[in-house]
Amino acid sequence: MASEATRVVAVDVGGTFTDVCVLDQGSGELHVAKVASTKDPIDGVMAGVEEAGIDLSATALFCHGTTVATNALITRKLPKAAMVCTKGFRDVVEIGRGTRDDLWDAYKDNAEPYIRRRDRLEVTERVDQAGQVLTELDEEEAKEVARILARREVETVAVCFVNAYANGDHEQRMAEILREALPDASISTSSGVLPELFEHERFSTTVANAVLSPLVTGYVNELDRRLKDDGYDGDLLILHSGGGVMTPEAVQELAVRLAASGIAAGAVAARYTAALCGHKNVIGVDMGGTSTDISLVYDGNLRTTNEWFVEYGHPICFPSIEVLTIGAGGGSLATIDAAGSLRNGPQSAGSDPGPAAYGKGGEQPTNTDANLVLGRLGSKLVGGGMSLDREAAEQAINTIGEPLNLDTHAAADAIIRVANANMADAVRIISLQRGYDPREFALVVFGGAGPLHGAALAKELGVPTVLVPLRPGTWSALGCLMVDIRHDLSEMFLRPAAEADEQEVNEAFARLEEQGRKLLASEGVEDDDVTLERSIAMRYLGQWRSLEVAYDGDIDQAVHRFHSEHEREFSYNRDHAPVELYRLQLVATGKTADIELPKHEKGGEMPEPIETREVWFEGEAHDTPVFERSEIPAGASFEGPAVIDQLDTTTLVPPGVKAEVDEYLNIRMEVK
Amino acid sequence: MATRTLDPVTFEVLKNSFVTVVDEMAEQILRTCHSFVIFSRDFSCALHDANGDTIMQGSQDIAVHVGTLHLKAKAVLEDFEGDIHDGDVFAVNDPYRGGTHFPDFSLIRPVFADGELIALAQANGHWADVGGSVPGSFDVGATDHFGEGIRVPPIRVVDRGTPRDDVIGMIASNSRAPGDIVGDCHAQIEATRVAEQELFRLIDKYGKEDVVAAFGEVQDYVERLTRARIADLPDGEWETTDHVDFDPGGEEGLVKVAVKLTIAGDEITYDLNGSDPAIKSFLNSGAGVAFSGAIASAKTFLPEIPLNSGFYRAIKVDVGPEGTVVNAGWPNAVTGSVSGAYEKIMNAGFELWSQLMPERAMACCFNLEYLLVGGRDARRDDRPFFMWYDWMAGGWGGRNGRDGQDCTSPVFGVGLAVQPFEGQERLTPVLTSQHEIIPDSGGPGKHRGGCGVRKGGTLTQVEAAVMSYCCDRARSVTWGISGGLPSLPHGVWLNRGADDERFLGANFSGVPVKEGDRFERPSAGGGGLGDPLERDPDEVLEDVADGYVTIKRAALDYGVVVEEVDAELAEYKVDTDATQALREEQRGARRARLDEAPEDVARRFRDGDLDVMDLVRHYGVILDWGSGDVLPRTTEQYRELLRRRSADQWE
Repeated sequence: MASEATRVVAVDVGGTFTDVCVLDQGSGELHVAKVASTKDPIDGVMAGVEEAGIDLSATALFCHGTTVATNALITRKLPKAAMVCTKGFRDVVEIGRGTRDDLWDAYKDNAEPYIRRRDRLEVTERVDQAGQVLTELDEEEAKEVARILARREVETVAVCFVNAYANGDHEQRMAEILREALPDASISTSSGVLPELFEHERFSTTVANAVLSPLVTGYVNELDRRLKDDGYDGDLLILHSGGGVMTPEAVQELAVRLAASGIAAGAVAARYTAALCGHKNVIGVDMGGTSTDISLVYDGNLRTTNEWFVEYGHPICFPSIEVLTIGAGGGSLATIDAAGSLRNGPQSAGSDPGPAAYGKGGEQPTNTDANLVLGRLGSKLVGGGMSLDREAAEQAINTIGEPLNLDTHAAADAIIRVANANMADAVRIISLQRGYDPREFALVVFGGAGPLHGAALAKELGVPTVLVPLRPGTWSALGCLMVDIRHDLSEMFLRPAAEADEQEVNEAFARLEEQGRKLLASEGVEDDDVTLERSIAMRYLGQWRSLEVAYDGDIDQAVHRFHSEHEREFSYNRDHAPVELYRLQLVATGKTADIELPKHEKGGEMPEPIETREVWFEGEAHDTPVFERSEIPAGASFEGPAVIDQLDTTTLVPPGVKAEVDEYLNIRMEVK
Repeated sequence: MATRTLDPVTFEVLKNSFVTVVDEMAEQILRTCHSFVIFSRDFSCALHDANGDTIMQGSQDIAVHVGTLHLKAKAVLEDFEGDIHDGDVFAVNDPYRGGTHFPDFSLIRPVFADGELIALAQANGHWADVGGSVPGSFDVGATDHFGEGIRVPPIRVVDRGTPRDDVIGMIASNSRAPGDIVGDCHAQIEATRVAEQELFRLIDKYGKEDVVAAFGEVQDYVERLTRARIADLPDGEWETTDHVDFDPGGEEGLVKVAVKLTIAGDEITYDLNGSDPAIKSFLNSGAGVAFSGAIASAKTFLPEIPLNSGFYRAIKVDVGPEGTVVNAGWPNAVTGSVSGAYEKIMNAGFELWSQLMPERAMACCFNLEYLLVGGRDARRDDRPFFMWYDWMAGGWGGRNGRDGQDCTSPVFGVGLAVQPFEGQERLTPVLTSQHEIIPDSGGPGKHRGGCGVRKGGTLTQVEAAVMSYCCDRARSVTWGISGGLPSLPHGVWLNRGADDERFLGANFSGVPVKEGDRFERPSAGGGGLGDPLERDPDEVLEDVADGYVTIKRAALDYGVVVEEVDAELAEYKVDTDATQALREEQRGARRARLDEAPEDVARRFRDGDLDVMDLVRHYGVILDWGSGDVLPRTTEQYRELLRRRSADQWE
């Protein structure tokens, strides 16, 4: 995948904006651009490319994160799809696990299945848990089903048979029959997509893959074509939910892996930033206008989860970067509830009318209004694109202050403190609960509103270090560039550890490895660039939740690791309890070009402030210098109070907090 | 209420922190529990103040534990007064002390700050087996508690930091799954420790005084919220009854659960006086569970209010004297209360609240059901003991402007996840034959009930196996409101369609079963809301296209004549004229059906002219579904209810 060109491009399509980052590896220059997302997202991508002045013919690598799959699932703009199931089991995806997201609100329904009941057909066949055929696939019925689906002109079919994780032959045969009758349709089998135990989770993932397949494949191919038309001759790599990239060829088989593409980028960028600064444990906080995405890196690895969904009740069980999204952003509304208590979010003023300070008719106070009243935001944002109406903000804040008997500044302060505490609670959920202590972490804050709240959030959590990357507003796009091609492969292997035959385990891994190598080779990855990591999911016999541990060919050692990892995560272990192997897992990685951010010589001095203004901290006004970020050189250090303005965000350095700009131009704050 | 001392920010932050504390306990349990019952979310967590009152209960907790946790906390405080120490943990499962049923074990840790008891952290989980005469500790035949399982009043299981393995071992030794018990016990103990640490963190940051003040103020806050909502409702009295199928110790006939709801100003009182005497089965409830049923029905209509003792100060419950089906008292059996009296109180509450808040109205929801097959697994040489322990999703009641929710966990606990049968097939010699929606199971209505589910299986290599079932509503069939109609009766069929076919009913215990036996049972759909003859024919058409309703019952239940256009393309159409005519005819004929002689109706049923849905929906006749014999007293009671909830409300 090598190329003479040194420019790499990352484009991250979000719901509102399309962010573009261009890094020239030769000169070290980093350009960003932000354009509005468009109805056809590819138009937005091309507009962003143009806005950033990118010459595609001189581009070595084009990486892309997109919410196109997520949005398709949410808006249900899906192709005509059908499902073929074992007789008696077509409702598995509708019954699901029976649970609801909100336990008490009987008017909050789960989303409908992606494929309607009338489009879920059945055939006679049955395999048992050991993979033995109990009832042969009824070929006549299968052909009849295929004929009906051809009449219905379906574009994609999910084939989901009971126990197909143990034996996928019937599914494969059904797929063949369907391909004959429906040569243009895409066919997904549950044994092909996710050969794992548990029918609902496997079927649901397969259905998601089926409904996304035509759409996402079409999207990726179209983007590929338009980039090539504009002179690009490198590889197009798409960020997938697991924090790796995949090629358009791989997307054709596993479209569902793009379901969380859009939110993975920020987490990857947080990990990269932290690594630059020498931190292995980091919490990423990406705070935008309406919500905040929180991710967690431990020992250099992003936390991933196999329990992920776009809509509750329809799980997508591929390793996905664990991102906790909460309704806290610059536009979150502060309200007083029926019992007279101050609340913050999750409702948001959105972009229309937006915060009161935008002067577009918003009357309820938001975090942005409170930050303005406290002087943390200036009335004129740098770049001069937009001015904020301080008076309107004060009025809005007072609607909260009066009933609470607080003056304007105290009320604004109260709003921000509640917002920070809510975010801190969310961070605790994702860290403490999993056995991590946030005090051992660094915080990377980005997004439009993150750097305003980062220091206070760190203080709330007892986190000592806060990192603010160079371009917080578009930083997440960069995440698309910072990953390798990655395939997650797995095979169920249910066996007590004491009875497991190492040779058998190794043979199973060899099969997975062959599959991984084949996939990577088909994507043009050289043998030398391939890394294969084996792990085994295990559990105590009788327990239902499994833990994944690395496997290097020695089962005893893996079991030993399981005990100690169990101790770390759950605060106890049972050395003598029998352990069961559950699933063999392989991560096959194909290395992509290394990305290097430019390094700057340290030694500059702090520039003169562009202004000094009154900023409120803990009930007191401080004369606070305001600096322009681009004027602060590497190596400069300063102490709060200070405000750092830049085009896409404002960084707040509270009194007593020491800050330094490092050689990558990150601001590093040390919070006591 | 005490005066407020905390500033608004500290209050809000601490309130949210308490939510985080209990949710962290829940996460800890979920990740470390051994028993699949707990893993399926049959557990709850709470934080209590030094009086045992609840400061916060988990947001994902199972409904039946709502309103019971503070009672157990208070039981510990009462029994160990003056003898509670830092590092202690107590256990209790006693349903006569506010507990739910024997399998629900609470682990309760006192939290001390500066030598003062300031709080209790409680983790409560359903253990897979706590002894008694049948696997799973669900003895349907029990008439007193002695055969149900081990009864544990408050006892100390950790003594100043040292686990009392002898005591834990004694409990575990009474179980068929001792390993699970020990594992779950430790998981819950650990969860309470997590809560303790989080409280210490909050005290470090905010000081003991503010944190303790917040314990009280958070309860006051919920009380204010609740009272504000109640004040908006009209004053008055509303009453209804719901019913358990029968008393095995008495004559046939429905067993009454009476619920009266009074609103005066900003306070609600539930009054359960007038309920029938305790029955000779384990479907009775104890006082704690009865209280929980009332509270949970209110919470369903006020879903946004957090749960703590402030809620219980504004919503009061009079469970009446001991000795009734809702307040059975020692030593009456109560382990099946969740299938029995509990859900009757809840659904009766739904009916009353539907009148108070028509915008959130909801008809009756399907009844919790548990099927258990236990025996030896002959697939393996060592013949290990197995338990196939299964519960289903079902339909919820029709709603204001909307059909009921299909295939949803029972109201007893919406977080209770149904089990993956592929997992069950690995662990037990039971092959699942179907897991599918039952057409026509949603109670007909202008807004029909959600659909129920059918699940069945075949026993493969089993030895010495028995089957037990804990359910209800084979006779007190899941009902509709405002003119809506019932769903269908519960009950298990063995070898249906074969010569040795048997209907085992909705409550049985220890029925011997053998290799090759087939079984199946439905979960009911929800009851309908509103007159089914007023349902939009296009909605019926869509239901037919998806197979939620059959063409046959579209005509019988909705008076809508649907014709097949092209079934392969799922294309159907409504015959508008025929529909109008049929609906007209049904409007004229339907009331009289409720007066037809039950014996005549039963004969037509036995002859195959009428089916079970016709009987429970249109004739109001209840049979012993196995023998086809009329249950005269039950039928009389059932018809009266059907008139009240349905027929009397048709135009």
